[in-house]
Amino acid sequence: MFKLKIKNGHNVNIAGNPDKKFLPTRHHSSVSLSPENFRYIKPKLLVKENDFVQLGDPIFFDKLNPEIKWPAIASGKIFKIVYGDRRVIKEIIFEVNDNKEKSLQPISPDGLSSKEGVISYLLEKNMWPFLRQRPFNKVANPSDNPKSIIISLVNTAPLAINHHFTLSDQQEYIVSALKHLKELTDGKLFLIVRPGEFTYLSDLEYIDLVEVEGPHPAGNIGVVLNHIQPINNKDIIWTVEGHHLPILGKIFSNGIFDPSITINIAGPCVKKPSYIKTRLGCPVDIYCQDNLTTDDVRIISGNVLTGREINLDGYTNFYDSSISIIEKSFERPFMGWLHPGGSSKYSIFNAYIGDNKKPYRFTTLRNGSKRAFVPIGAWEKVFPMDIYINELARSIEANDIDEMEQLGIYECDEEDVALCSFVCPSKTNVGAIIRKGLDLIHFDG
Amino acid sequence: MNFLKKILERSGKLFEEGKLLSWAHPIWEATDTILFSTDKQTSSGPHIRDNMDIKRMMFFVVIALIPCYLFGAYNIGYLNAIATDVSRSMFENFIFGMSYVLPILIITFVSGAICELTFSVIRRHEVNEGFLVTCALIPLTMPPDAPLWQIFIGTAFGIIIGKEIFGGVGTNIFNPALTARAFMYFAFPTKMSGDKIWAVGPDGYTGATALSIPANPVEYDTASNLFSQATQFDFSLWNMCWGLIPGSIGETNKILILFGAIFLVYVGIASWRTMVASVIGLFFTASLFNILADFSTNAMLTIAPLQHLLIGSFLFGTVFMATEPVTSAHTNKGKWIYGFMIGVLTIVIRSVNPAYPEGVMLAILIMNMFAPLIDYYVVKSNINMRLARNA
Repeated sequence: MFKLKIKNGHNVNIAGNPDKKFLPTRHHSSVSLSPENFRYIKPKLLVKENDFVQLGDPIFFDKLNPEIKWPAIASGKIFKIVYGDRRVIKEIIFEVNDNKEKSLQPISPDGLSSKEGVISYLLEKNMWPFLRQRPFNKVANPSDNPKSIIISLVNTAPLAINHHFTLSDQQEYIVSALKHLKELTDGKLFLIVRPGEFTYLSDLEYIDLVEVEGPHPAGNIGVVLNHIQPINNKDIIWTVEGHHLPILGKIFSNGIFDPSITINIAGPCVKKPSYIKTRLGCPVDIYCQDNLTTDDVRIISGNVLTGREINLDGYTNFYDSSISIIEKSFERPFMGWLHPGGSSKYSIFNAYIGDNKKPYRFTTLRNGSKRAFVPIGAWEKVFPMDIYINELARSIEANDIDEMEQLGIYECDEEDVALCSFVCPSKTNVGAIIRKGLDLIHFDG
Repeated sequence: MNFLKKILERSGKLFEEGKLLSWAHPIWEATDTILFSTDKQTSSGPHIRDNMDIKRMMFFVVIALIPCYLFGAYNIGYLNAIATDVSRSMFENFIFGMSYVLPILIITFVSGAICELTFSVIRRHEVNEGFLVTCALIPLTMPPDAPLWQIFIGTAFGIIIGKEIFGGVGTNIFNPALTARAFMYFAFPTKMSGDKIWAVGPDGYTGATALSIPANPVEYDTASNLFSQATQFDFSLWNMCWGLIPGSIGETNKILILFGAIFLVYVGIASWRTMVASVIGLFFTASLFNILADFSTNAMLTIAPLQHLLIGSFLFGTVFMATEPVTSAHTNKGKWIYGFMIGVLTIVIRSVNPAYPEGVMLAILIMNMFAPLIDYYVVKSNINMRLARNA
């Protein structure tokens, strides 16, 4: 058991935190799977429009690693395949036919007691994409040997779901998932929890619990790893999203692929910010209907720091566990930089009179012009890793791969530096810089 | 206001790429965003942003400097009243001082704006608000009777050589305001070196500064005795703290500088590490010199640490110049070393080097030069830790 207290960081006090209540379940007529949610893959389709597929059937595979296939996340007709420029597959939309959903065949649990057994089972059932790796934050490679596996059950991001609430009735499947995931590594299986939550996990001897306290990004796997087992240049760490554990648990225990997940819809523009029981790749419009305070909004799949903007007729992304909605604002106050403060300004600096105790209605405004970077130590205030982030960013801008490695680029991911971009007075996008560095190494190496 | 906003929005089209005035886009952008906050949207990545921006940040530094301006103006009038033996009210002293401060301020901003705008147009970079801080700092380091043409040239030198040729704010090596000050110090030594007092008085009015008293004593004595024997100005600790002594415009009132320091640390702009470290460096070196004073006839070595702290422009330099984020060390560990060395070098230059009466400016410029080296070694230790882990 590790105990971690993270000091540097910040819990963004944004309005519209979800109540621990569920919206009535709504009918999904379609769901979507987007190959763009998976980094560095080259998808090749195995189906055509209007084909009928069953839940879990292979839909496309990665040309770079053909054994990894992606599952159909619904049973029904492939309603549409959306292509982008240069025939990039952007989205595969399924028509959902609830009556015809059939589960995978139950399996004999014998094969699941070895690493090879678990890997071939997940590959065979097309469930491999649930596993991702650090560094690079991409789908794991089954032929790698991960140093350890880490799963976070603490989501500290603004408006994020509370795993302790959403997974409260899933103990059986979580334990099943963890038991089998442990087979995949010779190292440790780390579980990040808040003190006092998921107490039943402490009885499982194959798990190393990491109790974290502190503000965001305390719950990020990158931050925790930096403190307990930093990623060295050749290390591979695997991870699974906390809210996907029940899906994997069901696959392992009875061979059923059940794409149900619990996510939330939250944000300053949501009338009833709450939890929703839905499924992978669900459409967002059915949850936005009559639930928004204004029409001019940005809908984000994921959290407001690292999520992706989607349209009202769009669908949630594969790994995301929330729908965040903020208002689009084009307000231009006269001499805004002179503003004394009050409830209309939010800053982690003491730059405005008044405090940040009242939840703040953030909008899409950048709140300032892009300027050359002035290092007043803002990034360091919210970056709790033993990494010189300013120097790392500069080495990336200089395309110096050796120095990036020496400064610890493999330990970071966009989500770990998202708060740096949030607070940066020069409005630098630090996450984009980190991603640029990781891309450079990925394609160069 | 809407009317003005519309004018700006319409005129903005003239400055777009490929249009008649596209070359002047940085100037339009600066005007537009100073008058109305930008409505630029977040793209990917964080969809929400903090309300602090560079404009607000630079504005805060200027706020922190305003008390120094006000007191500086009053002090000019006050000292002039003594020198010319007239009696004036406080307000009249202030107005008298302002008649010296305002022209300096205006000429600095004119010179600074010309350089910054010209460069932003030629180099096609945005007008950085940092130049406003540079221009607000320069007059405070000037003698009240400095010739305006010298200030004009000095400011231009500071902005161009201190900042723009390195690529503008964010990539400069030396503090531009100090570069300007150093240029004037060496180019116009008769007015700027500070070996005699700076005050507005009748022709030929002169006197000894606090630092030049122990530097050139008639006969050797300890600094405290020499200060107490000085008759022209009151160089007691309290008065040096309150600032009714001659000096450059902004440096004399240490209490207001301290307020500025607390304000800048509170809003999170200036680094308290640099400030504390440089005071520690000053106390350390001054105490060491106090011990060594027994073996020397240099009265400068007998100045007590607290006197060093209050004499001259050490506090002004360490609060407003040394903490400049771009040219100081960037790492937190580095800031301790950087600040400490500023304190050490200030005392060394003051006490041991007879050529320069004041040492803060040179100490900060020297440490500006070494800041990247300090950071290099601090970062290197992190790299070595990682290399050892990887081995």
